[in-house]
Amino acid sequence: MKIKDLIKQDAGFLYIIDNMELMSSAGRRKMLSEEFCCDACLLQAEWQRLDLAIQATREFKYKKPYIELRHCLMQLHDLQGTLANLATHTTLNEVELFEIKNLAQLTHTATDAIQGLGLAEVLPLPDTTKVFHLLDPDHTGIANFYIYDSYDARLTPLRRELKALQEHEGDPVRISQLLAEQNDIQQEICKRLSDQLTAYHRTLATAMEQMAYIDFLLAKADLAIRWGLSRPEIGESIVYQNLVNPRLQERNEKAHLRYQPVDITLHQGVCLITGANMAGKTVLLKSVGTAQLMAQCGMYVPASKGIVKLVDGVVSSIGDEQDEMNGLSSYASEIIKISHIIDTCRSHEMLVLIDEPARTTNPVEGKALVQAIIKILNPMQSITLITTHYGQLGAQCRKLRVKGFVENMSDVPLTPQSINRFIDYSLTEDQSDNVPHEALRIATILGCDSQLIALAQENVSN
Amino acid sequence: MPFIRDILQHRSLSIVGLEKNTGKTVCLNYILHRMSELGVHVGVTSIGVDGEQVDAVFATAKPEITLYEGTHFITSEQHYMKRQLVSVLEYVDSQRTALGPLVTARVLVRGKALLSGAATTGVLRNQIEQLDSMGVDISIVDGALSRLSLASPTVTEAMILATGAAVSANVKQLVSKTKFLHTLICLDEVLPETRETLNNIESGIWAIDSEQQPHDLGIRSAFLIGGSDNKMFTYGKTFFAAGAVSDRLLKMLASKEKDITLITRDFTKLFITPEVYTEFTRRGGRLLVLQRSRLIAVTLNPTSPQGFLLDSKRTCDALSEALQTPVYDVMKIEL
Repeated sequence: MKIKDLIKQDAGFLYIIDNMELMSSAGRRKMLSEEFCCDACLLQAEWQRLDLAIQATREFKYKKPYIELRHCLMQLHDLQGTLANLATHTTLNEVELFEIKNLAQLTHTATDAIQGLGLAEVLPLPDTTKVFHLLDPDHTGIANFYIYDSYDARLTPLRRELKALQEHEGDPVRISQLLAEQNDIQQEICKRLSDQLTAYHRTLATAMEQMAYIDFLLAKADLAIRWGLSRPEIGESIVYQNLVNPRLQERNEKAHLRYQPVDITLHQGVCLITGANMAGKTVLLKSVGTAQLMAQCGMYVPASKGIVKLVDGVVSSIGDEQDEMNGLSSYASEIIKISHIIDTCRSHEMLVLIDEPARTTNPVEGKALVQAIIKILNPMQSITLITTHYGQLGAQCRKLRVKGFVENMSDVPLTPQSINRFIDYSLTEDQSDNVPHEALRIATILGCDSQLIALAQENVSN
Repeated sequence: MPFIRDILQHRSLSIVGLEKNTGKTVCLNYILHRMSELGVHVGVTSIGVDGEQVDAVFATAKPEITLYEGTHFITSEQHYMKRQLVSVLEYVDSQRTALGPLVTARVLVRGKALLSGAATTGVLRNQIEQLDSMGVDISIVDGALSRLSLASPTVTEAMILATGAAVSANVKQLVSKTKFLHTLICLDEVLPETRETLNNIESGIWAIDSEQQPHDLGIRSAFLIGGSDNKMFTYGKTFFAAGAVSDRLLKMLASKEKDITLITRDFTKLFITPEVYTEFTRRGGRLLVLQRSRLIAVTLNPTSPQGFLLDSKRTCDALSEALQTPVYDVMKIEL
């Protein structure tokens, strides 16, 4: 799967991609067509390049080679169409030839800049000097272009006559004749140049793609520095220290709310997450999913330390997606999704994220379904994360509980606005089969109708 | 003609017409010719939102103009390929229009070319900056049919207004229509301090108190104004509309209070009719702008597209008197 498909599935990942500051449309295209990678060697190599790019960015951010390279990338045009024309022996027009000349010059300048950054070995660019010379017959060294007089001996006298006529408002018939003649000659030259350039088609395509890649790499490096991302290791489990969800973190910072990173370790099989409402279970699921996508798309992860297990893909059933539009009830769309997940896991090693399965149906059957899901997924190779409010599941799997509401965690008055300061989002291993019963407590803090709460309390006591 | 000297006081100039066929191209050709004689380095571009011809999102064709040696011009790839002059390509934009990317070139041997341009004033502003960086002395923007936004002082420093028989074959009507636009172009500016305070406000309608401090009235646009909002007048009778000003806003203000002052960004934000404006001023209302456009001249094309010909001298005189500005007949401009 490519990044352009993944961002449709994961809003958190879309947020990451939206924050990448690319210089060129070619770089953006390159980024969106980047594949979700399952090959450890390729990922290690990509992280290694990213590491070098980060070092170079840190060292040269405000210095000449870096600024010059960014400047080149800003001027990079996506010439896929023109290069396709070249490959199929279509005659290029003057504007297209200008674009080719410009690409040749940019590649040359970028090569020097990359040399200056000490990245020449990792980011090699092809030599485009010959292309530039072909389009610069007068050796001006400038990326301007027109059908120079020196391309054809007939042009100089023709243009001289044309100029004289135009300046003295000469015979319009003769002027048209000269313009037509000039056009024919120019056409011939465009054809000749295009034929000659065909030989360099691959060189030019490589130059453009490599520049687009450099743009993507520099954007990744810049994001890693801005957000303090870290290089993951590859292992047999997923381990994060101080994992954050960048989208939520930024939203909280803007609202002056506290954001608490979490530590989590996940092994093959099912891990059941319990915790009170508002304890951040869903966010945790999303954070793990986004971090996995980032890592396997060759990026660093939003944690102070990260180990990832490479999987074939990330599949999720997280209930806030809008399925009503498909004409399905929330239960129907959920159960179809989970069925699809189980099916996928039979043949692939996935990262599975299921948020409160079967919560929209009756608790008797709902609980039975959750038990069955756990029983099927637990022995599989996939890593599965399931959140639930159901207790007494008797599940033979690992359980983690979000610590949740802590009465004396803050000095500020407890209000619906400040409740976030009273929640400890960290996780703890949980051996019991019970779930926290804090729903009514939290409803009270949120200022719910007192009669409602009193009655509910009474029902619980009975 | 004297206005060439006035043009040279500015870095950018727009030529806008009250209607199509008011002689913008003739006027532009005249200016380009005189500039080349004076050895001025000119950059030429255009704005194209011409509902009649091409999709408004993209570029649109203009009549051919003559460009002289050394002139920088911006047009689309397709029109560039049809040029009847010799020129060097210096820049190709990455954004594409329906007519290919916009290209910038320098003329080597004079001749005719078609200009096509950006669809938005934002892009136009970038183009003027780009021409600036190529060392031009002045950038001239060819306008499109009934498109005024390019004449905004935030886009071009100075403007020429073209009017003519195409607006109305009736001299009285022609004068009154031209005069109304002229009045809006010549609205008084606010004090520099007030401009400083209001310049960065991007949207909404604001009340200005006696200390010249703005207060957001929570009205997002003049088009969304409610009928019975009397709280508007808490801070006095001076207002600032950051966006467009409609008839509806003027009517509403004039119906509530007398002697209202309404400040707008510049005349291109005014979408009002003479009748409503007259009523507004009759009730003591006053319109001010943050920035006023420098109107260099008004030109007249006495020929209408239907072939009707106005008496040039009589019309020019009538206009000059009404506008208190020199008016020139484009057909009598000698190249």
